[in-house]
Amino acid sequence: MTLPIPTAILRGFLLVLALFLAPAVNAYAAEPDLLEPEKAFAFSARVVAPDAIEVRYLIAKGYYMYRDKFRFSAEPATVQLGEPKLPPGERKKDEFFGETEVYRGDLRIVIPVSSAGDGRFTLKAVSQGCADIGVCYVPVEQRAELRLAAAPGNAAASGSSTIGEDTLIADLFRGSTLWLMLSFFGFGLLLSFTPCVLPMVPILSGIIVGQGAKVTRMHGFMLSVAYVLGMAITYALAGVAAGLSGAMLAATLQNPWVLGTFALVFVVLALSMFGLYELQLPTALQSRLAEASGRLPGGRFAGVFVMGALSALIVGPCVAAPLAGALLYISQSGDALLGATALFAMALGMGVPLLVVGASAGTLLPKAGPWMEGVKRCFGMLLLAVAVYLVSPVIPVAVQMLAWSALLMFSGVYLRALDPLPPHAGGAARAGKGLGILLLVAGIAYLVGGLSGGRDVLQPLSGMRTGSAVAAGGPVAFQKVANERELEAAIAAAAGKVVMLDFYADWCVSCKEMERYTFTDPAVRERLAKMVKIQADVTTGSADHQALLRRFRLFGPPGIVFFDASGREIQGLRVIGFQPAGKFASVLDLALGAR
Amino acid sequence: MTPLRRGLLVAGLGVLALGGGVIAQLWRLGILGADAEATAGEAILAHRYQGLDGKPAQLDHLRGQVLIVNFWATWCEPCREEIPMFIRLRREYAGKSVEFVGISIDQAVKVIDFAKEYRIDYPLVLAGIEAVELSRLAGNKAGVLPYTVILDRKGRLAERMLGKVTEQDLRQSINPLI
Repeated sequence: MTLPIPTAILRGFLLVLALFLAPAVNAYAAEPDLLEPEKAFAFSARVVAPDAIEVRYLIAKGYYMYRDKFRFSAEPATVQLGEPKLPPGERKKDEFFGETEVYRGDLRIVIPVSSAGDGRFTLKAVSQGCADIGVCYVPVEQRAELRLAAAPGNAAASGSSTIGEDTLIADLFRGSTLWLMLSFFGFGLLLSFTPCVLPMVPILSGIIVGQGAKVTRMHGFMLSVAYVLGMAITYALAGVAAGLSGAMLAATLQNPWVLGTFALVFVVLALSMFGLYELQLPTALQSRLAEASGRLPGGRFAGVFVMGALSALIVGPCVAAPLAGALLYISQSGDALLGATALFAMALGMGVPLLVVGASAGTLLPKAGPWMEGVKRCFGMLLLAVAVYLVSPVIPVAVQMLAWSALLMFSGVYLRALDPLPPHAGGAARAGKGLGILLLVAGIAYLVGGLSGGRDVLQPLSGMRTGSAVAAGGPVAFQKVANERELEAAIAAAAGKVVMLDFYADWCVSCKEMERYTFTDPAVRERLAKMVKIQADVTTGSADHQALLRRFRLFGPPGIVFFDASGREIQGLRVIGFQPAGKFASVLDLALGAR
Repeated sequence: MTPLRRGLLVAGLGVLALGGGVIAQLWRLGILGADAEATAGEAILAHRYQGLDGKPAQLDHLRGQVLIVNFWATWCEPCREEIPMFIRLRREYAGKSVEFVGISIDQAVKVIDFAKEYRIDYPLVLAGIEAVELSRLAGNKAGVLPYTVILDRKGRLAERMLGKVTEQDLRQSINPLI
């Protein structure tokens, strides 16, 4: 057969991408790349001796800081800072102020400290710098929580090394490009184990099997390379979009309408796998496509390439949730090239299993006969599972549990759980029936659990337990704030207690996951009880909401920010994206420990 | 119907769904369709600043002119370098209903000294860190100085320039608005 180069579809595809990129490109085309001040002048502090701390600024290339603009102070007043040991700087002529000294590169400043209290204090560092392209940043205040050690041996104190997930991703991006690519490649490999990549397997194997029996291993492999490259380039473009837009890209992909329509596409695809109907393009269009491809040499690879690009768009909303943290960071860095590189590497990682399928040239996949029917049904079930997984954040848990129950029971029945085995059945048939019964029973458990008030997808029957466990599962009582004024009032009212501010939106998948899996954990509950909990619901994205987000340099939820007892943000402790209960509990401990 | 074409059909449907959903969501979030130029211009004109005399000041009375709004500070070297050019251009455009405004993120004392020494004759107002937010609203993503925007006679944002501006760029932006 000949594979078409679907020019019409290609054109439509480019149009969609253009729509994606247009608002961003128009708005920022003329601006040079500028780093946010906290990235241009990356600040950290640590304790180096019982009576000295070291402040470090990693100044990005092309940026400099003024030697006479540093101001350091410590709180509480029991901690005294000595004269900072500022190294000599590079001389720079300034026509108004005369000669000034500036720093570039790696700057370390040692400051003597003496403490009368327990050695815990907050360092406030004010600094000011400029970029060589001829712009200056307004003075920035940065803080670090430090604790002086009693003995020199114990000097590895916390400082800004109390790292949250956001700083981790930030560190990743600050490292070398090679390291970044490797990390994202690994991340992609992990993603390929999520259900998101599954729909791509039948599409790709369909293409390869469709080549007929004479497909060689090499040919199959090359076809899958073309497919994976198409996919990778789409993701790279998404990285560019994230870098340029700074808008809520992940958020845009995670609203109920996008997720819902995609779930529908998966259901349509699944039903055709069950042979309910054959998906057909109108014959006129089919023949035109065939004609178009016949004219072009290499049309086959181009067609497969475009297929890869389109498939990436289809599963886009599915991977948007795990990707949210990375996309947010890219959009904050505003670095389009970096975003493109990172997501390209990630897509290559995601493509590895597909390359394996391709290289097997169909040998891993049964060619024809009743086997193929079984495989198709299996894919159909998996596609339905993806559909449920996609919409799970935006539907009630009860509905979700009933959906899982139906899916499991149907799968069980398809595996002949209810059919009698013939007397001389082989091992495979018996194993199949055993698995079928297992799925059937699991489905019944979900049905019973869902109907009896169980609201935990991982423990379907937990609703049947009685007593305290159920009581603890209620939602966390958040105090809601809608604008900056209310937030300030709430923080002021919480004086003396640690405050947790949670940015939430209905379309934010990680927020829902946190709510469902992390906030319900008893250990997390216990620690949360000691805090004042504030929530900003930014679902509608009003001007007030935007102002709130901007205040914390967030482009959208998810984001959790902590404030210490005196109402200042605890730096380096932000939680961006989903965090499991154990890890989140230790973050809460750090927040509570920071006075 | 080959598997490839069936895949293409599904993929095409998916892309249409994605495109529609994304556009709907962008529109809902106000990213598409919102008149950012009018919003930013209005914010700059309506903001309550502080005058060099310490009293509240506004730019409302300058409406109807072509306004060159310069965010600056005395501690910012590239900002200081472009100010003589502003003074010169203002004289040149006198009588054409073109006005320059300086919004300083600075202390009043320093601005007063500086204005005296450089003989700045156009209106100067003071604002704290909220001026940086204003300029962010007008597209200054990284929040840096100097940042210059040009408002047309209707108060809409017509041009924005990050960093030191050249005389030629400034003329090219002002002339079509007169």
